[in-house]
Amino acid sequence: MSIVTSLILRQMRTPIIILILGYSITILGMVLTPGIDDQGNPWRMSFFDAFYFVSYTATTIGFGEIPYPLSNAQRVWALITIYITVIAWFFALGRILSLIQDPTFREASRKNVFTRNLKNIKEDFVLICGFGETGHALAQALTERNIRAVIIEQDNGKIKTLSLIDYPVFVPGIQGNARDPEQLLAAGLKSRYCKAIVAVTASDETNLKIAISSKLLNPRVNVICRSEIREFEENMYSFGTDYVINPFASFANVFSMAMQAPSLYLLYDWLTGVPNTRLTSPIYIDKSHWVICGYGRFGQALHPHLNKYNIPITVIDPSEDTRTAFLSHTENRNNDFIIGTGFDAHTLTLAGIESAVGLVAGTDDDSNNLSIIMTALELNPDLFVVARQNKQFNSLLFEASNADIIMQPSDIIARKIRTLLTTPLLVTFLNHARNQDEEWANIAISRLSGVLKDRRPNTWTIRVDENDARALYQVLDFGRRIRIGNLLQDPRARERKITSVALLLRRNQQIILMPGDDVAIKPGDEILYCGTPDAERSMKWTLNDLHSLNYIMTYEDMPDSYIWHKIHLYMKRKERRKTPRMLQQTPQSKDRDA
Amino acid sequence: MNREKVVFSFFMIMALTLNFGFFTGDVDNPAHHNVYELYAVIIINLIATTLKFGDRSQMGAMLLATSLVAVVQLISAAIVWMSAVHIQEIGLTPEVMSTIVSLSGGAMLANIISVMMLMIETAMMRH
Repeated sequence: MSIVTSLILRQMRTPIIILILGYSITILGMVLTPGIDDQGNPWRMSFFDAFYFVSYTATTIGFGEIPYPLSNAQRVWALITIYITVIAWFFALGRILSLIQDPTFREASRKNVFTRNLKNIKEDFVLICGFGETGHALAQALTERNIRAVIIEQDNGKIKTLSLIDYPVFVPGIQGNARDPEQLLAAGLKSRYCKAIVAVTASDETNLKIAISSKLLNPRVNVICRSEIREFEENMYSFGTDYVINPFASFANVFSMAMQAPSLYLLYDWLTGVPNTRLTSPIYIDKSHWVICGYGRFGQALHPHLNKYNIPITVIDPSEDTRTAFLSHTENRNNDFIIGTGFDAHTLTLAGIESAVGLVAGTDDDSNNLSIIMTALELNPDLFVVARQNKQFNSLLFEASNADIIMQPSDIIARKIRTLLTTPLLVTFLNHARNQDEEWANIAISRLSGVLKDRRPNTWTIRVDENDARALYQVLDFGRRIRIGNLLQDPRARERKITSVALLLRRNQQIILMPGDDVAIKPGDEILYCGTPDAERSMKWTLNDLHSLNYIMTYEDMPDSYIWHKIHLYMKRKERRKTPRMLQQTPQSKDRDA
Repeated sequence: MNREKVVFSFFMIMALTLNFGFFTGDVDNPAHHNVYELYAVIIINLIATTLKFGDRSQMGAMLLATSLVAVVQLISAAIVWMSAVHIQEIGLTPEVMSTIVSLSGGAMLANIISVMMLMIETAMMRH
């Protein structure tokens, strides 16, 4: 029995007993009271007549005096019947109404609904702790990719807004304190469908507690944490948290990439941004005088990345203590530190804004940051501006402020977690891309922009196995040779290409970046593609439908020249001969590859 | 002394004794089975059932179940009576009467089980 039914039954015990008593007394009285029938003989109601009479009287329906007009004695008892039973009904109804409005009851029934919704989720889901800006952005991104999300949030008001937001897939939410392990369990931590837990509450301490609880209670689940303080970050990693995301450190990393390798930065921005928004154009950051306003967590994270170029940097911050601490570091000797706020022209001029190339507006107050940007751009319109945006709802203002890079913590975190959860292979791709040189990135960029035109792509992973690519797997099993480029053909008209580029191929431990169109696919491969949502749908069609795949493959690009033709036939024969053997010895061949 | 226990035991035992009173006598003789007695058994059983609403213990659930069995059987007996007298208008023939009495006999068995469980519970919680 659920707690809600039990609550109702317990509360309704007294009213029901009063109703039973009222009915029993009045029915009995009705049976015992003497009356007269239509012939004038003495007559008394049977229990059946009495029950009928009391039932329609008690519910105020009032059919009248049935079957015969009542005697005076019966009318007296009918009066008593009316007052007893009608009042008993009012009492019962009143109790039901007050129960429904009772906060405890509502809480219990909400929990009940949530538990039922959770039980109905029969696919992998992500448990999001904290429904702030990050939580919302994340839920949006996950549901857009058809990944189920469940939310636990402490603030009752925020959880109520959840029902007003229209996500592509229904997102159940529960009000609860995520620090309490019991409540995490109630939110589905131990469910076998719970794939990952994301701790993005505002407090690092809470996130730490969530990470500990999850790792202890369900070690199988992936734990992703937001952290803004270094000690907490280290603590989280110490017991096996899978990913800890510090928005400031993440941004500083990206910023340093933008300074060092603009093309790589562009690649990162294109692939991790919100799909189907406009592609950004490349930025070039001059390595000369920079002004940093606000030396908090943001300024401190960015400063080392600028400082390593040995360029003059002026820091503006109102705190005296920060200045002492700043100047005590030997590597900061070449830098200036001005005490002030930075949104007045005087301080900015003092910091040499007219000759500076870049400005970081990095205080924790959005109005201050906007004011700094506007004042500074008036003094020097050519400045490269990096802005820290603290609140989501100020997006419009920051976009209008002409800042070149806008850093918004919740956006950074949502971007990173979305990538981790939806396309983990993209993370691998970006990590490997960072080791490549600028020339490689330039080629990648030109290939992408050639295909994608001007919209940010979706990224998706295909895995060549029986579940994800049934048709492809079957055909490869027969020994046919299929190349990466074949999958880029449109299954509706094979001479056309779909808007998509292969980014990465993973075969066992081996990784190939930007594989060419002529690389052959083998069973077990994982391939990362990017392109339009339409292209993704077309490709899924090719992968799973044997006819579409056949249609694409019968159009074979036979080499024209004699030599190439011979080589082609030789290769084909060799492969055919190899196939049956390979099928028998799959385990060994895997070992050899590894 | 627990007032709830007293009230509940009272209704439980009252249901059994009244049920027994109605049940005794020749199975097909209407003169041996009083309609008021059946009425009282139904009311008392209904109250005993309601008293167990919302009790989430194992014993409470079992008692609720046995009471529900008794109520269902007694109400069936009442419906048989009603349909014989008021709908079909054949009166209390021996067949009708024996159906009613045997239904009430089933209800009595359920009531006996309830009282036995009540006794077991009391015996186990001696303090």
